[in-house]
Order: sequence, then C-alpha cells, then structure tokens
Amino acid sequence: MKKRILAGILAVSMVGALLTGCGKGASQSADAAPAAGTEEAAEAADGTETATTERAQANEIVIGIAQDLDQSLDPHYAVAAGTKEVMFNVFEGLVKYDPNGDTIPAVASEVEVSDDGLVYTFTLRDGVKFHNGDNVDLDDVIYSIQRCKDDPKVNPQTSTGLQCIESLEKDGDNKLVMTLSEPNTELMSLLTLAILPADYDKQDTAPIGTGPYKYIGRTAQESVELERFADYWGTPANIDKVTYKVNEKAEGLIMGLESGALDLVSHLSSTQVAELNKDDFNIEQGTMNLVQALYLNNEAAPFDNELVRQALCYAVDRQGILDMAFDGYGFLIGSNVFPAFTKYFDESLTDYYTLETPEAGKEKAKELLAEAGYPNGFDMVITVPSNYAPHCDTAEVIAEQLKEVGINATLKKVEWESWVSDTYAGRNFQATVIGLTADPLTARSLLERFTTAQRVEDAEGNRGNNFINYNNADYDALFEKAVKTYDDEEQTKIYKEMEKNLTEHAASVYIQDMADMVAVRKGLSGLTFYPLYVLDVSTLKWN
Amino acid sequence: MKKRKWNGYLIAGAIITTIIVVWILVGRFYTPYPPTKMSSARLQGPSLAHLFGTDKFGRDIFSRVMQGSGTTLMIAALTILIGAGIGTIVGSITGYFGGIADEVLMRFNDALTAFPSILLALVIISILGSGKHNVIIALGIVFIPSYARMMRTAFAAQREVNYITSARLMGASSARILMVHMLPNTIHVLLPALTIGFNNAVLAEASMSFLGIGVTPPDVSMGYMLSEAQGMFRSAPWYALSVGGVIALLVFGVSLIGEGIQRMNKEVD
Amino acid sequence: MKYVVRRILALIITMIMVSFLAFAAFHIISGDPARAILGMNATESQLKVLRQEMGLDKPFMVQYLNWLIGFFTGNLGISYSYRQPVSELIAPKLKVTLLMVLISFVIIIVCSVPLGLRAAQKSRGRLEWLRTTIIQLCMAVPAFFLSILVSYVFGIIFKFFTPGDFPKIEKDLAGAVKYLFFAAVCIAIPRIAMAVRMLKSTLIEEMEKDYVRTAISRGNDRTEVLKKHVLKNSLVPTITFLGQTMAEIVGGSIVVEQVFGIPGMGRFLVASISNRDYPVVEALVVILAFWVILSGTLADLINQKIDPRLKLGGRA
Repeated sequence: MKKRILAGILAVSMVGALLTGCGKGASQSADAAPAAGTEEAAEAADGTETATTERAQANEIVIGIAQDLDQSLDPHYAVAAGTKEVMFNVFEGLVKYDPNGDTIPAVASEVEVSDDGLVYTFTLRDGVKFHNGDNVDLDDVIYSIQRCKDDPKVNPQTSTGLQCIESLEKDGDNKLVMTLSEPNTELMSLLTLAILPADYDKQDTAPIGTGPYKYIGRTAQESVELERFADYWGTPANIDKVTYKVNEKAEGLIMGLESGALDLVSHLSSTQVAELNKDDFNIEQGTMNLVQALYLNNEAAPFDNELVRQALCYAVDRQGILDMAFDGYGFLIGSNVFPAFTKYFDESLTDYYTLETPEAGKEKAKELLAEAGYPNGFDMVITVPSNYAPHCDTAEVIAEQLKEVGINATLKKVEWESWVSDTYAGRNFQATVIGLTADPLTARSLLERFTTAQRVEDAEGNRGNNFINYNNADYDALFEKAVKTYDDEEQTKIYKEMEKNLTEHAASVYIQDMADMVAVRKGLSGLTFYPLYVLDVSTLKWN
Repeated sequence: MKKRKWNGYLIAGAIITTIIVVWILVGRFYTPYPPTKMSSARLQGPSLAHLFGTDKFGRDIFSRVMQGSGTTLMIAALTILIGAGIGTIVGSITGYFGGIADEVLMRFNDALTAFPSILLALVIISILGSGKHNVIIALGIVFIPSYARMMRTAFAAQREVNYITSARLMGASSARILMVHMLPNTIHVLLPALTIGFNNAVLAEASMSFLGIGVTPPDVSMGYMLSEAQGMFRSAPWYALSVGGVIALLVFGVSLIGEGIQRMNKEVD
Repeated sequence: MKYVVRRILALIITMIMVSFLAFAAFHIISGDPARAILGMNATESQLKVLRQEMGLDKPFMVQYLNWLIGFFTGNLGISYSYRQPVSELIAPKLKVTLLMVLISFVIIIVCSVPLGLRAAQKSRGRLEWLRTTIIQLCMAVPAFFLSILVSYVFGIIFKFFTPGDFPKIEKDLAGAVKYLFFAAVCIAIPRIAMAVRMLKSTLIEEMEKDYVRTAISRGNDRTEVLKKHVLKNSLVPTITFLGQTMAEIVGGSIVVEQVFGIPGMGRFLVASISNRDYPVVEALVVILAFWVILSGTLADLINQKIDPRLKLGGRA
C-alpha cells in the first residue's frame, strides 16, 4: 500500500514538474515539493560548499574536459589538441613556452647559438629528474630529439622541421652540440618537444616526463589523474592532485560545474557561461588561438572563381556573427593568423573586405556575383562537424546572411571523424567552418598549408594539408623565399606578404579567433593564458 | 452512456490533434515572423510580441515551433508509412507462406531488432548524409522489424481460417487473398500500432537530433530545437518548456486517438 | 527440450548475423579508424603503417573471420582508442549499466504491478479518464527531456545527488545506487505507464471472460477472483511484456547516460562509434544484441513453463 502511494506520488509529481516546471502544481505533492525544496536547497548548498572546501583543504581540483585523451599518451605521437592540453603539465622540452608564447629554457638551462645560426650549444640543467626518479642525461635528450626527427609516427610538421639537424654530439656530460645543415628560425619552437627517458617503452600507457605533474592513471571515457611531482626542478606546482573528468556533452560540463562536481572548465562559449551562477564562479577570458574561417574549396565550383570568393567575403558580416553567436566576444581576423600570435598578425588585413555598413557589403557582393555570372546567386552546402557547436552556430548565421545576397546555403552536419576523413583529407566539400590551430607555434605551420606542394600528391601518393586547394603561384614563390630567408625580420615580412596574398585572393572567408571562456570556481586563482591550446595547472592554487 | 464515455478519448484526441495539425498547416503559409529571421532581440522571455520568447539568434520561437512541428509531423508520418508499409509486406509474405522464407526473413528481422537502433540510424545517416529526408529513410528502416513481426502474427493467425482456405480452393491468387481477404482483417491490429509508432517516431527523431544526427538547418524540427534548448535550461527555460510542451501535446493527442480506437474495437468485439 | 535447443540455436544464429551486420556497417560508414587515431595531419604513409598494424589492410571477410574466431576463443581484441583489451574496458561500464537497468526494472515492477491492479479494479471508476490521461502523458514525454528535468530539478536545485560526479561502484556502492536511481526513474516512467496500461487491459479482458463472470456472479469476492485466477492467467502476456521491457530499457539507457553523465555502456557505445573504435563497438553491439534476444527468449521459455500449450504455437 505504501509503495503504491509512493509510486503514485512519484508519477504525479513528475508530471507536475513537467507541466509547470516544478512551480505551482495543482496536485498536493507538487505543492509540497517547493516548500521542502527550499529547505533542502539551503542545506544542500552547504553540502556543495563542504565538498569543494574539502577539495580545497585536500588541495585537489577537478577539471572538466570535453574529449577523452588520445589512444597513445606518448607526447611525440599525440595528435589531439585535447591530449596536448592535459599533457602540457607532464612534459617539457629543452625549452618551453612562457605565457607570451616565447621559448624559455627548461630542461636545458642555457642555449648558445653561433653567429651563422648553424651551431646550437645546450647546457643541461642540473638536477632535472624524470617522474620515475632517474636523472635526465644527455642520452635521453639525444634519444628524444632523434626520435622526433626519424620516427614516421611523429607529427610530420615537427619531423620535417627537424630534418635540418645534421648532428647531435655530447660535449662533456652536460653540454649538447647541435649542428644544422641550414639555419632555421623556428628551431626553438620545435625544441619544445618532450624530453623522454631513453628506450622507455611504456610511454603509450604510462607516460614519464619531467614536468611539474606526473601521470597517475586514467579510466577510459571517465577520468585522468595527475599528481604533483615533488622533485620538479623549477617552481613546484601548488595543487597536489588534479583529476580531469570527461564529458563529451557541453551541457554535462555546465551541470557538473553547477552541481559542484567540477572546479574548472575551459573553452566555454558565452551562452554556456550565461548558464552559470556568477556567485560561484569567476569567468576568465582568453583566446582560443585558432583561425576560424568559412574555408572555401578553391577547386569546387563556384568557388574556383575568385570574384565569387570575394563576394562571399563582402557578404559575410563578421561583426554580425560575433554579435549573434558569440555575444560580441571574439577577435576579428582577415587572414590565416590569429591575433595572439602578435609577431605575424597583420591588423591592417582585418577590415580588408569591410565596408561602412553591412548593407554596403551586401551590395558590393551582389555586384561581384553579377560580374562573376551569378546575378541570381546559387545554392551551396556548408559542411560542419556536428560536435563543435560554435562552428555550427557560425555556419547557421552565415547561411542566414548569405540569403540576403541570393545565395541559398544549407548546412550539412557530419560527425567529426567523417569530417576529418571526407572533408579534410578527402577534400570532398564546397565550404566548411572550422578553426585551424598552429602546431608547433610557427608561422610556417599556419601558412605552408596553402602552397601547391601541399595541394598536389607527392611521389608516394601523399597529399598535404592544403585542403582548400588554394592555388597561387605568387604564394608558392613567397613561401620558397621565406624558408630560405634566415634573417628573422626579413622572414617575418615575407610571411606577412603571404598573409596578404591569402586575403587579396579571398582564399577563404576569415572570421575570428574565438574567445576562450574559462569558468573557475571562486577561491581558485592563478589561471594563466598562453597563445597555445593548453591549460597550465601548475600556477593554479586555492586561496 | 457507456459508448459516449469510451469515445471520449477519441474525441479529445481528435480535437487536440486537429488543433495542432491546423496550426501546423497555417504555419506552412503564415508565421508571425519568418522562422529563420535573426534579430538582435536574443533570448527574450515570452511576451505579446513573441509568445514563446526568442532563441539564441533572436528568432521567434513560436514561428519556429509552428514550422518545426510541421517537419516533425512529416518525418513521423512518413517514417511509419515506410515502416508499416514495408513491414506489412514482409509480414504478410512470411506469415502467409511460412517455410524457409519465413525462417530466414524472421532471423534477419530478429537481428535487425537486436541491433541497437541508434547504431542502425547512425550507419544509415552516415551512408546517406544528414538532413530530413535521410532521417525519414533511416527511421523508416529502423521501424520495419517491429511492424513485420506484428503483421506476420496477424497474417499467420488467418492462414487456416475457413474462408481463406475456401478462397484458396476457389483458385484465388495469393496476392488477391493477401490484399482483399486478409489485409482488411488486420486493420484492428494495425491502427493502434500506427498511433504508437507515430509517437515512437516523434520521440526517435528527437533522440537523433539530440545526438546530433537529425535534421540540419535551415530545416528545423522539434527534436533539433529541444536539444538546442537543453543547453539553455537556466537562462531560457521557456525555450525547452514550450518546445517540450508542444511535442508532448502532439504525442499525447495522437496516443489518445490510439486509446480511443482500441476501446472502440473492444466495444465492437 | 527440443524447443529449448531450437531457441538457443536461433539465438546463436541471430547473434552471428548481428555481429556480421555490425562489421559490415563499419565498412560502409565513413571515417577511417587509422585517421581517427592519427588526426588531421597524418600522411598517407603513416596511415598505411597503422592500417597494417591494426590489420585493416586485410580483406573484409578475413577481418571478420579473425574477429569471430577471436570472439569464440574469448579474445575480444584490443581497443583502437585505448590500446587496452576490450574486455577490460567494457567490464566496468557493463557493471554500471546493468546496475542501472536492474534498479530501473525493480522500479518498474514495484510501481506498475500495484498501479495496474488498481487501474483494472477501478476501471469503471469516476477518475478512470484521469488515470488514462496521466498514463498517456507519461508516455508522451521524450526520455531525454525527462532526464534533463530530473537532473536539473533533483540534482541542481534540490541537490539530492551531484550530477557529473558519479562515484565508483567499487568505492561507494550506496552513492552509485543513489545516483543511478534518478536516471533509472527517467527510464522507468514511460515504461511504467505502458506496463500499467498493458496490465489493465489484459486484466480487464481476462475479467470479462465467462469463467470470471460466472465466479463473480456466484458470489465470490471480486478482489479474490482477481487475485486467484485472473492474475495467474494474465501472467503470460505480462512476462512477455517484461521481456520486452528488459530489452528496451537497455536501448533507452543510451540517451539517459548521456544526460546524466553516467559512465555506462550506452555512452561508451556512442563515443566509440564516433572514435571509430570498431573492436569496442563490435563487442558492445554483440552484448546488447545478446541481451535483447536473451530477454525475449527467457520470457518465452518461462511462459512455456507456465502454459505448456504455447509450444504448439511456435514462436510468439
């Protein structure tokens, strides 16, 4: 009897909650619920507080991530940005990035470069230990660099860059002499590659590095655990234990923050942040450090016509996109470099296609379309990876904007893996919205991809990264010149010319670098932003 | 007295469904605002200008629901048309003829039933691509096995009934027996199953959109909107509630009709 | 006995068909597992090496037969995404989902049997329409919408549990059960509604049969008759229904696990499909299929025991 009543109440209160949003229900139980609820809520609020205070006292934090780590935790093989973001805390190279994106000494304490830029001498830092307790010696360093240069499984952008290394020799037991066949201005960025213990064969599953945190373990699709490394050579980290919890649904992450299960989540959008209670969280804003664009397949009609591409650049109101889909947050760009990469970012390109008003842009676009032979517009398909809500939103706004110039755009949402193999690798698309990152953090990694060499198949049937099939002889020539130029200033100038080339020929519709919102629980401080896709846990601390 | 009470469900269901269908039909020709028109009045609560409020792009939710429920209605209707249509054909053949064909088709049917429907839908979508037409095909296929099984039982039950045997003896063709003599007798099983199927199709479409493999913009469906609304439950509760409410009402209306039909059948029996 | 053997044989054949279908599906679905692992910057030569390592360069049938042989020798293969044996990866997820399904099943039985009985008894009562309406409403709510409401109302507002912080079963069984309870309720509610409806119509149908009418007209207590005869005779359709329920709540758990952030089989299945982690998906699909078929078979076999006449009718 009792059970029956209970069940009845349960069913009724559920229906009540459903219909009225758990408000003023007509049934008895729904009436009772809010009253009991307020009490409970007050009590429970204390409960959450204790849970988080407990974590603060135990000096632990829980971070929410949207993506589980790669199958291999070996840093040299890691491909997913999400994996690198976590493992940034576990590994270090001879040098590492500082919050400005410059390289500073890490495992090496000093670097000397010869005047011709061909000989680098690294001094090994005293007392650097691996997480297994062993000291780092020169053999480990040589092993790590050699591996990145030779192993076919390493990210090709890294291994190609390292091909200029001619020899690695020991000088005494703490000096490494590296001789290059030709100068390489981007070598330092490449040498942020992780130093690993020589011939340790379990990096895949039980990685060992020299960073401020050591890897403890993972549970598939659930969590990853790190622990503070007591013997770290530099400023030790503050937090003792870090747990990353995986939830592939952004809504799940938000709910985790609200419920007290999580202390910090990054890469949130302004809409998601709006869901959070501002009494419990500080919202910190950085940049995602990527180039978000409506990438156009330059070989697919009608985008093989430069006029059409330019028309699109005029027709798309980028500020409108920011206002509509990002609450006004974000940084407009005009070419394939993001603003935080200040050395190469050319601000003058940002407004290349911006007229006084969006309407004027639309008019100009119509003119260009008429000139190109499409006075009545055309139909197009924008392919977007369905798991990236910001890109989907952007595409939706663009589709609506293009309507006004007579272009009828429909969205095609695909799974991420389909996007990678069909859209990106297969180049089977008309237009797509995606964000490209720089990895390693060099101008080359952002700009080399649009060269002809990257567009066509090489002898082995490999196709490079020029997934938009950009085809411009001037651009190719500029790139040739850039890699042969060893003067940093001169080289930077050429890279900027390449950016301008992309803009002028409307390779794609460059939109923005997205704002990176990080929700940090009150009481936690020390969040540092990098111009990279990483989250430095070592500077975080409970107050 | 009794009879009127029993038909109450049918009447109530018919009223609710008719109102919604009329509303949807009106939505084909007129909506208060163009459903995809974006504006700067974003995430506003319900008001006289926007009865259901606005969504994250400042679009009028009322207009979008008018159009979205039309898409959903069409998806659900066509889905059960495919599912029940092919299911009836398969079921009639296996149920009437039996034998090896029955054995093989039913094993295959079992396999399809046991195959997680979400994976099946995903496979079909990834072959055909996303979009409302492919959602219909995918869901239609997912729905075939249950109808096939049900109709097989319904047809098999009639196989040895006297008038069928005599029709056979009189030389009627199998096709004629199936269509003319047997099919009408399965209606009382089929009709309630159609209403249940309709509701399952609406809910399945919602689940597919929730998992990101449903319809794609500029098309809009209830499932798509509901999954979008989930992320804004705190800042825009009216979104989830109005969309969820209309879905529930649509499904509710149709299932009341189903209930009514079932009761009427019983009365006739 | 022969019937049992036939059922088990059918079960095995169906399972093999399911596993084959799943295998074939992966070859049709777009997205290359090697590329899924190596990411956007992979070169063709890198992909080739990896495909070789994973055995993806072999012909389709060879791959399938290898998998099948592995399966029957207890080797489910190595996960592409985690480089761990599939069996090790799946075991903890399986435990979570089974526990959730079990809780949900208990809720369904505990709620629907008394409610169904009552509904049948009061089928001529004044409030009958209200009961039917509530039942219909409960069936009209999408499971994930219900999940969103429940996790928001009971998790965030009332703080009965902490969404996103699912305790490990080994460490905190009580906590895990509590967490799963709320998810289980969301799976259960529509099924309870269906069960009540089914029970009610079965019972009423049974009660209108001649023997019952006779029994009641002879002055036997209505409730007594209901309990003694009607219930027993309604057992067969009820068990069939429970078998279906058992099968369907596993399917329903996929979406609910997503919303509640429960690390169970359904969520793992969805993630593994998008990672193109075929060994894991294949294993999960077979387990799910086994579960579905087993529920049906068990229900049939139990019914067989209760009512041996059913044997003649072949498969229901």
